[in-house]
Amino acid sequence: MTATFIRHELKAFWRSKNTGKSIAIRVVMTLLMLYMLANVVVLGFFLDTVLEKIFPHDDIVMSFCGVILVYYLLDVFMRLQLQELPTLRVQPYLQLPVKRNSLVRYLAFTALFSFFNLWPFILFVPFIVKIIAPDSGGGIAFAFIIALAGLTVFNNYLALYIKRKANLNGWIFLIVAAAIILIGVGDFYLHLYSIRAVSYLFFGHLIHQPLLALLPVALGAVMYYLNFYYLKQNLYLEELGSRKASKYKNSTDYPLLSRFGVAGDLAANELKLVLRNKRSRSALIMGLFFMFYGLIFYKNPQMGSEGYKVFVGMFMTGIFIINYGQFMYAWQASHFDGLLVNKISFTDFLKGKYLLFTLISTGYFLLTTPYVYFGWRTLMIHSIMFVWNIGINTTMVLFFANRNFKRIDLSKGAAFNWEGVSGNQWILSFPLLLAPFLIYLPCALLKHEDIGLALLGITGIIFILTRSFWINQLEADFNTNRYKIAEGFRNK
Amino acid sequence: MIEIKDLKKAYNGVVVVNVPGLVINKGESVGLVGNNGAGKTTLFRAILDLIRPENGEVLSKGENVAGHENWKNYTASYLDEGFLIDYLTPEEYFYFIGGLHQQSRAHVDDFLLGLGDFFNGEILKKGKYIRDLSKGNQCKVGVASCLLQNPELLMLDEPFANIDPSTQFRLKSLLKDLNKNKGVTNLISSHDLNHITDVCDRILLMEKGKIIKDIATSSSTLNELEEYFGVGQTQTAPIKVDEEENH
Repeated sequence: MTATFIRHELKAFWRSKNTGKSIAIRVVMTLLMLYMLANVVVLGFFLDTVLEKIFPHDDIVMSFCGVILVYYLLDVFMRLQLQELPTLRVQPYLQLPVKRNSLVRYLAFTALFSFFNLWPFILFVPFIVKIIAPDSGGGIAFAFIIALAGLTVFNNYLALYIKRKANLNGWIFLIVAAAIILIGVGDFYLHLYSIRAVSYLFFGHLIHQPLLALLPVALGAVMYYLNFYYLKQNLYLEELGSRKASKYKNSTDYPLLSRFGVAGDLAANELKLVLRNKRSRSALIMGLFFMFYGLIFYKNPQMGSEGYKVFVGMFMTGIFIINYGQFMYAWQASHFDGLLVNKISFTDFLKGKYLLFTLISTGYFLLTTPYVYFGWRTLMIHSIMFVWNIGINTTMVLFFANRNFKRIDLSKGAAFNWEGVSGNQWILSFPLLLAPFLIYLPCALLKHEDIGLALLGITGIIFILTRSFWINQLEADFNTNRYKIAEGFRNK
Repeated sequence: MIEIKDLKKAYNGVVVVNVPGLVINKGESVGLVGNNGAGKTTLFRAILDLIRPENGEVLSKGENVAGHENWKNYTASYLDEGFLIDYLTPEEYFYFIGGLHQQSRAHVDDFLLGLGDFFNGEILKKGKYIRDLSKGNQCKVGVASCLLQNPELLMLDEPFANIDPSTQFRLKSLLKDLNKNKGVTNLISSHDLNHITDVCDRILLMEKGKIIKDIATSSSTLNELEEYFGVGQTQTAPIKVDEEENH
């Protein structure tokens, strides 16, 4: 039975839209994965040297033992965001004569096939073989590996368990993520306690008492069974799927937007689209994470130049335009036919888009105002890039939207979701990233940064003032592509 | 109302719609029948300017639907769930559609009140997004949004397929009332021969993209159609469009 499941799952993978039909996307995916893997392999082999560099005063085995738990803490965090729930679509099997236990066992078991479960071994096993085995003997080295395996399994199922729970209630995800961040902050910024000390406490003792390795194994086993029973209890359609009969959904309306007529209604609808669907919502939330982008760059004195501020400012204030706009109009793929036959002029449709972009970007812009801490000039650059975003990037994104024929299923999550991705997004990123620097960089090189910034701002304002012209251009452009777009969106 | 000239649409070299000429007059109630793959939905899409035909054109009130938008003012259609904005609640959707036709919320509320029987208490104030409704209830939302637009031309693709028997009867009387009393032109496809011959006074039978029969509904129509779809399947070849009956 398991073999049949695996065969079906493989077919589902290769035939799914997410995988991307085009070879180019598969190649890029594979290359990315290989690149990441190569990085980890190199890091694993030179871990002893790296550790010596970071902790020059400590014994190398001691620092190794200290690092392990820190890694696993990071690992949970990464998994929560990136690891996919193994979703064998059990629905078609539930009514067939297949034992529940074998379904659940398969679901729980396949969860182990994840890249994340390879990483700790690639990272730590070379060190164990190189340093610990000669020092303490093969038995201890084996105990280390067993302990690693136990922790990996534990982490794997812990992350899946949290994700399953979070599927039912989005707050759980935020709470857990916040808890992990707090644990990290408590250690590395506030120095309330030391995870490394805890880690050393365990792994240091493991060197003398190899039987301790059974503790992580037991933890892993407990987590596995917790998952197993949770799945078994919840193997019902309404609980597996995202379509739960949940709480009462209220009708909302945005009085502010309804003043803008049909365009306002369309923007209001799209705002609801963003807020009420999983993938678009994550595009919005991901933008919030980008608000910390500035901290990374601005705190680093080597990156203090204003060129970085232009770049970072554009990203922070325009992240929604870039992140959400790149897939336009595929967000509306499921009802695009409806939009086409209804009494909606495309001009209003585009005006609605501009309105939505302006509204949300303004929100993000307001969120970046605390960066005034890095000087008023920073705030000024952000404002200029905000104007640039709503002037030029919106138009650019909409121009590329006229060339996007790939449907998106809104109910799927965003992480590792390649649905709707085509060459279009790659091409779009070039003008988006390069355009401001075409204006700014020559001025900056001639030491006239102020002129460069002024030109950016003026160009942005010109585009905003001439918007109706661009809308006409976009409409004419859309009319040549409309059948192709609608046809692509109908293609499930 | 609708005039189709030389319409041809092919996918991957296979002709799915081939209509040399068809005229639908104002106030007619036309039913479209045919087996799966006969080209009914594609014909609808061509009339609604959703696909670009290889050849020919569709005129609505004498104006080509492609490149013009006036037809949207008096045409209401529901082909499938793809016409609904599924993350809205039904109320939000109705307000949106009403707003497109400059109707106030009070007007929409008033109109929906009149559809209470048709909704059977399953649509409004249920606290669900359209995507959480059953297929039948989604169909009710789609049909209701069409009626809300006060159309002169109403196009429905298999409206009877997913709805319960009570709603089927209510929908039939609604459609008849619209056609007889308000002069709305109906274009409806269905697999249910009883319903379609009951509602429509002209039946178009499609096979492999062609309209092979165009008949005015009479007491014998149902038998004729049943013969085609049932035992008559083996002898369809000799049947040609009867010029006498072709309007």
